[in-house]
Amino acid sequence: MIKKKVTIKNSAGLHARPSAQLVKLASKYKSDFFIHSYGYRVNGKSILGVMTLAAEHGAELELEVDGSDEEEALTAIEKLIEDKFGMDEE
Amino acid sequence: MNADIADTKEKHFNGRGVGVGVGIGKSVVIDIESAEVEPNSISEKDVETHKKKFSKANKGLTEELELLAKELTDKSTREIIEAQLQIIQDPEIEKSVSAIIEEKLLTVEYAIYSTYCKFIERLKESGSELFKQRIVDLEDIRDRLIAIVCNHTHKHPVKKGDVVVAKDISPTELVAFYEKGMAGLVMEKGGPTSHAAIIAKSLGLPCVVSVKKATKNIDAGEQLILDSESGMLICHPDKETLKSYRKKQKDRLKLSARKCREVFETKDGHPYQLLANIEFEAELPKVAEHGARGIGLLRTESLLFGSRIRKGQEDQEVFYSHILEGTEGPVTIRLFDVGGDKTTTRASKEDNPFLGWRGIRLLLDEKQLLQNQLKAILKVSGKYPGRIKVLVPMVSVMDEVDSIKKELEEAREAVTSEGYAVDEGIQLGLMVEVPSVAISARKFAREVDFLSIGTNDLTQYTMAVDRGNERISALFQHYHPSVLQLIKTTQEGATEEGADLSVCGELAGDPVGVAFLIGAGISDLSMLPHSIPEIADLLSSFTKKEFEAFAESALNSSSDKQVKELFEKSFCQK
Repeated sequence: MIKKKVTIKNSAGLHARPSAQLVKLASKYKSDFFIHSYGYRVNGKSILGVMTLAAEHGAELELEVDGSDEEEALTAIEKLIEDKFGMDEE
Repeated sequence: MNADIADTKEKHFNGRGVGVGVGIGKSVVIDIESAEVEPNSISEKDVETHKKKFSKANKGLTEELELLAKELTDKSTREIIEAQLQIIQDPEIEKSVSAIIEEKLLTVEYAIYSTYCKFIERLKESGSELFKQRIVDLEDIRDRLIAIVCNHTHKHPVKKGDVVVAKDISPTELVAFYEKGMAGLVMEKGGPTSHAAIIAKSLGLPCVVSVKKATKNIDAGEQLILDSESGMLICHPDKETLKSYRKKQKDRLKLSARKCREVFETKDGHPYQLLANIEFEAELPKVAEHGARGIGLLRTESLLFGSRIRKGQEDQEVFYSHILEGTEGPVTIRLFDVGGDKTTTRASKEDNPFLGWRGIRLLLDEKQLLQNQLKAILKVSGKYPGRIKVLVPMVSVMDEVDSIKKELEEAREAVTSEGYAVDEGIQLGLMVEVPSVAISARKFAREVDFLSIGTNDLTQYTMAVDRGNERISALFQHYHPSVLQLIKTTQEGATEEGADLSVCGELAGDPVGVAFLIGAGISDLSMLPHSIPEIADLLSSFTKKEFEAFAESALNSSSDKQVKELFEKSFCQK
């Protein structure tokens, strides 16, 4: 199992479209994926879980990935968040 | 008008107009309180049955949404539907529903109800403004799933001329009400991209959505006017208002009637044919009303999915017969155009479903499915000689053409030996949607009676752009000169070999597209029925020469944008 801390950088936070992208991406990997945030732990492959986080700009999340492709999954997920979900700041 | 209505004051409500035209009628209010479901116990032996009911309901709803998503190119619409799909497939929902059934031994409807309510509460607690819209989605999905597992559909007597006022209704209910002759639809929920709104538009039905508290503020049996253009809903209209809206309604009808009587000719007398793309029997009245000369594309996938599955040969025959009975002119039936994810067998995930096992590729592997459909079509063809054409989707190589011909022959022999009369001249045609077929159109045209260009998939495969991928959606360019060139190549190939050619993609229902197509020498065009008046208007206002000049410069331009500008210069500055 590996863990990594990240910060949400896009200004709108984890709203509808980024949440959908995150879940879509995480679901491609076999590894389990959880997000810890301010005492909560949610399934990162669950759109409803991610939405209930309501993570806004600047929110700190800890990603927890566990499984055979955990390295690969974490790299991809981290990149998506770092890249601000590929969105220009609207 | 009776006295007590005349006394009541006219009231206006605002919503968003999403349908077509003006609707006037008496209200039927469908006010089902979001189902409160009781926690009833089940016995251990029922656990599996209840779990199965849940996965079946989930699957049904998923298929209904996917089918709808497939037909939509509008980006924001797709996003909403995809978000709903993601919720339905959420692993946490499934876990929770299963746990409630298994561990607490409660019914599936309660398990669904309490699971969704739990997540709705959590979303509310999170206090995020971002997901307000999602709460509506969740309630909507919850109620639909419960309705499916409980086998409930609204059983409200809707009569001809009624205006249905509801919180929200499902696509299947909408089609059922439409078949009974409803005059319009008012909904509390639903943006312009909700299911019901999209279908209302396709049916040409007057529709206003997002009317707050409509089911509370409007009583049953009240006179209503709804205007799809302004999004206005008027209750108890006074005499003057009613008169002016009746006139508006009549003008619209007159307008389309005038266009219907007209021959379809360009300004200088070159004939063209406008046909309709449809999927449901309910769309037939619009086909006649808008003066389509036949059905250029009958989609059949809805026979396989959703809540009205009609997969069996006899059920299919009934469906095809209804369509033939309700129309005049040719009816082009497209064989099932589905991907590998849509059949019960071999549900293995594909990395690239759009480049994968779909259309004819799937049909040739699923012989039973294919033979059943061909036999149903052939049996009906005997009763309507000369009218049915068979269209084969997703062809990419010649072997598939040889195989489908053999299959058709086999089905013909089987049906004939059962003693049925078959239309011996039934025409066989191919969809041109893969560039390999467009480029070698001449060789393919030699083998069949007709070709039909599906411009959405042709664009997708030519531009290498997944229509569903929002990051690159700007690259999905219908008018890209390369796409236009492939269409022109197909036209030349078909003409040389004397095969008929039509276009049934979105391009045919779009003014820029249609101007190019006519100019490129393609005069059989099939589109959504309600697009016909506008398209006929454009095509009848200019000469063939003008369209030809436009088509030629479009082919020579270097971008999608340039083609649009050219169109505006040629046809909009009159």
